[in-house]
Amino acid sequence: MKIPNKIPVICIALTVVLSGLVYLKVSAEASPAQISQIRNECSSLKNTLNQLHVSDALLRVNMGQRYELMSTKLMDRFNNRAASNNFKTEALSESANNYKSMLDIFRLDYKAYEEKMVLAIKIDCQSEPSVFYDALMSARSGRAQVYSDVVKLNQQIDDYRAAVSQFEKSYQAVGEKG
Amino acid sequence: MDDNQTFEVENLSFWGKRRFVLLIILAIIISSVLVSVAMMMYDGSGAAQLDLSRPGYVDVRNRTVDSSGEFKNYSSSGTIDQKSIDEFKALYDEQASKTKTADAFKGDPLNPDAMGINTTP
Repeated sequence: MKIPNKIPVICIALTVVLSGLVYLKVSAEASPAQISQIRNECSSLKNTLNQLHVSDALLRVNMGQRYELMSTKLMDRFNNRAASNNFKTEALSESANNYKSMLDIFRLDYKAYEEKMVLAIKIDCQSEPSVFYDALMSARSGRAQVYSDVVKLNQQIDDYRAAVSQFEKSYQAVGEKG
Repeated sequence: MDDNQTFEVENLSFWGKRRFVLLIILAIIISSVLVSVAMMMYDGSGAAQLDLSRPGYVDVRNRTVDSSGEFKNYSSSGTIDQKSIDEFKALYDEQASKTKTADAFKGDPLNPDAMGINTTP
């Protein structure tokens, strides 16, 4: 089957036009006034981003440690103790595992956010204000995702506490029967 | 004896005569590969995000809080009775409250309004 000579040319032309449209759509998110303001405030914006980057890193270290300790020094130890006394610990283990999975997601999302932040900081906002704006918005959504993970982690902490209360009720019920 | 040794050296191949240089080149290649693997692991595992010894983090390096001392050890062995459950609940509630109160990463500091680049009327 012979392919008409014009088809590859049309495909390339369509690709170029569509790429241009996508670029225009992305860069259209920042208004001309915003682009102008980014150019004017470039060094100040970079300073703000750098400060936030550093303070978020500190927060990540401190909170990450705290979240880790909730798991290793409390949840795991209580689960082990209950299991070694031959109590049913499925609910406790499931809750602790959900917490650990969420903690892994938090780590990955923070890493993704940090990478986006570094990318935004590296962009020259004087010469590429619209690219800088896009990177800024990308970092913003990354940070929102990290906060969403924190909310879910806090929820998992409550869920584990509820599982402990349930375990306590079961323990008391067994004690009353015995 | 010396004549024999001289003869053996003369018969060695190109790389045989340059064994020491070859050793150094191989050592550099192997160490470069190992360093590259280590850097990939450091970057990929998320350890880089926890490393405040990187340049640019000098100001906050001393502000890290070691929370491990705050967490009293709950023994993973021993009997389970009402007293041990109550002890765990007290320890857990205290730390859960502190962890949740921090409410990390709240707010939207990268919002164009907060950054001062929202010029829409």
